[in-house]
Amino acid sequence: MVNRIKIALRKPVTYFYVALFLFYVLFLPFSLRVFAAQLGGDSPEGMVTVLTVMAFWMIPGNLIAYAKRKGLVYRNSDVHFLFPSPVSPKRVLLYAHLKTLVAQVLMNVFAAVCGGVVFGVSLWRLAVYFVFSLVVENLLEGSIMILLYGSEKLGEKQRAMVVKGAYGLLLVLVAMGVYWYFQEGLSLQAAASFLHSDMVKMVPVVGWYIGVLHLLFLGPDALNLAVTAAYGILFLGAVLAAWRMKCTGAFYEDAMKFAEDYEEVMKSRKQGDNQKRLGKKQKFGKARVIWKGQGARALFYRQLLEYKKSKYFIFDTSTFMALAAGIGVAYLYTRERGSGFFETFGPFVIPMVSGYLIFVFTALNGKWAKELKSPYTYLIPDSAFRKLMNATAMQHVQSLVNACLITVPGGVVMGMAPMEILLCIVFYVVLSANKLYALAVAEVVVGATLGAFGRQLLQLFIQGIAISAAVVGGVIGMAVGGVLQGYLLMDVFLSLFTFIFMVIAALNFYKIETA
Amino acid sequence: MLEVVGLSKKYGKTLAADQVSFVVPAGKVGILLGPNGAGKSTVIKSIAGLLRFSGKVLIQGQDSRDLEAKRSFAYVPEIPYMYDALTVREHMEFITRAYGVELDEDELKALFERFELWDKQDKLGNELSKGMMQKVSICCALIIRPKVILLDEPMVGLDPGAIRELKALLIELREQGCTILISTHMLEMVKELWDVTFVMEKGRIRGSYAREDLGNGDLDELYFSVTGHEQTAEGNGGGTWEQ
Repeated sequence: MVNRIKIALRKPVTYFYVALFLFYVLFLPFSLRVFAAQLGGDSPEGMVTVLTVMAFWMIPGNLIAYAKRKGLVYRNSDVHFLFPSPVSPKRVLLYAHLKTLVAQVLMNVFAAVCGGVVFGVSLWRLAVYFVFSLVVENLLEGSIMILLYGSEKLGEKQRAMVVKGAYGLLLVLVAMGVYWYFQEGLSLQAAASFLHSDMVKMVPVVGWYIGVLHLLFLGPDALNLAVTAAYGILFLGAVLAAWRMKCTGAFYEDAMKFAEDYEEVMKSRKQGDNQKRLGKKQKFGKARVIWKGQGARALFYRQLLEYKKSKYFIFDTSTFMALAAGIGVAYLYTRERGSGFFETFGPFVIPMVSGYLIFVFTALNGKWAKELKSPYTYLIPDSAFRKLMNATAMQHVQSLVNACLITVPGGVVMGMAPMEILLCIVFYVVLSANKLYALAVAEVVVGATLGAFGRQLLQLFIQGIAISAAVVGGVIGMAVGGVLQGYLLMDVFLSLFTFIFMVIAALNFYKIETA
Repeated sequence: MLEVVGLSKKYGKTLAADQVSFVVPAGKVGILLGPNGAGKSTVIKSIAGLLRFSGKVLIQGQDSRDLEAKRSFAYVPEIPYMYDALTVREHMEFITRAYGVELDEDELKALFERFELWDKQDKLGNELSKGMMQKVSICCALIIRPKVILLDEPMVGLDPGAIRELKALLIELREQGCTILISTHMLEMVKELWDVTFVMEKGRIRGSYAREDLGNGDLDELYFSVTGHEQTAEGNGGGTWEQ
């Protein structure tokens, strides 16, 4: 841990993270206060509501993870050094749990600041909650973790029953919510009153914890005291049982498998491949391609083959998001009979939504980022420009499909001219390409000095410049001619920057290092 | 022929390779020896064009960045890189297409049989063990019929049978006039292979030797005398090689 901190302090990106965290801790609560006040949730009840929602998915989620012997992150180094060492397996379990302690403390600090600033909770109550959360909650979770993860008596069937039980808890809560909906209707007030209802507090484990929160933040009543007592009994029972339970380390095998999978997924993600899922081997279908051409052209056909073997071909979450956004824009335009709040931006709503989606969804980097990590990309005897073209061609096709999905529904409903729709599609495709080449430019500029995150930030910054130029183009075009000229200049400016990025990426291709 | 002239490489402030120069004559096997962290892999990766470096690398007399030079050399990385969705055979199809080489079925069959991959050619990249990946990686390098081949710790992860085959194959390649550079610290594995050797330590070439210069001297003795490390392995004791 000390060494990690020392290494982290040497990286500039650490200071950025610290600044980001301080920003969130210091400023976010103030902006959240305004938001909470608008919703009428700027009271201790609001805090309980938020924590209740979190408890709804976190407690059953943890139970399921521990019962399936997942959720504890061991690295390969832990497997190598810790598992065979003469350390009690229970301590090995607690070690994994305690690795999250720093994050928990930070979250609790954030929750306490929000409690004071956003929800106006008194200081002593926050102090009690802080201690409760850090000590009691941690001890209980640690005990349940030992009982489920470390148990050597629970067989597959019993573990499956615990998982079913956790899902059962969720089902009960959902059923109660549905019942409440039929009784009270759908509104924020109704949802809040459901979360504070007595029946929720009576649900075992999750409800008992919610009852403790009510006692801590809102004061005692008969039910709060009763369920708090139940929570206390659960706490004592779990701690005692965990203390006495025999654990010789039978969980090591599962933990080792999880560590291997985890390292593999982390490695893939670092290389830009977001498709690998923890514990699930990626499956590919059977497909063939007829290879044509040679040199860098092989990169294109290899990618085509990979896409043909993929379950969803070239389609992924970005395709789904584009379709949802396209339908969403069309629906909202029809319902609002115009662009509503975005009326000021008039005909540029679709490019705005496109820009947002491309900016936020980083999956577009996927294949290209992976291509940059392969030694064969550099070894292939062909020009950098041809490699760049062929290695990104399939992604331009993917962008074109996404562009049509996001543009056509809204464009038709809004009554845009065909040429405007076409220019809108061009905007999406060029902006996507811009993102790809901006990554290569960022690789060249920062190399390994700022890490993957630093590279991504620079990529966003570079892309921000190009988008700003496109906006300027749009404004000039609108001022000079009209919507069509605005679209045209926007595309021209963006294409110009994209072309510059592409040339920089191609010229500096040899300066990118694979290791 | 492979010629390295004044190659230097820095990782941040660390100088990993410092003015490295050596020549592997055509049709000879050169061995880059050195302890862990000596800079061998850095030199090999730089020659392969995977790292930025200062200095010059000539392959068959041409700058290593030239396309003609790239066409004539192959590289076997220390950690094999596989495409998850491609089968073993598709890796070969991809590489031969990328290098513009005709895929000769007989040659491919001979290569696969030699490395026991014939019955595994339909396995995907993500289904292979580390050793299998290394074998595929070696096959990918050989299928393009290179004039110069760079191998970074090629024996690691291979089973004894595959090591024996690889050694035999490298000798055959040498006989066909191929220039070979192997980076390794496993002296035993390259004893009967080498023609010239370059001993690296702390990023620098500490000595370059040809087999004929060595006389009756042993590679182990040479290595330990140059690096100054003591021989501890049984049977490796005795005298030290005088430079």
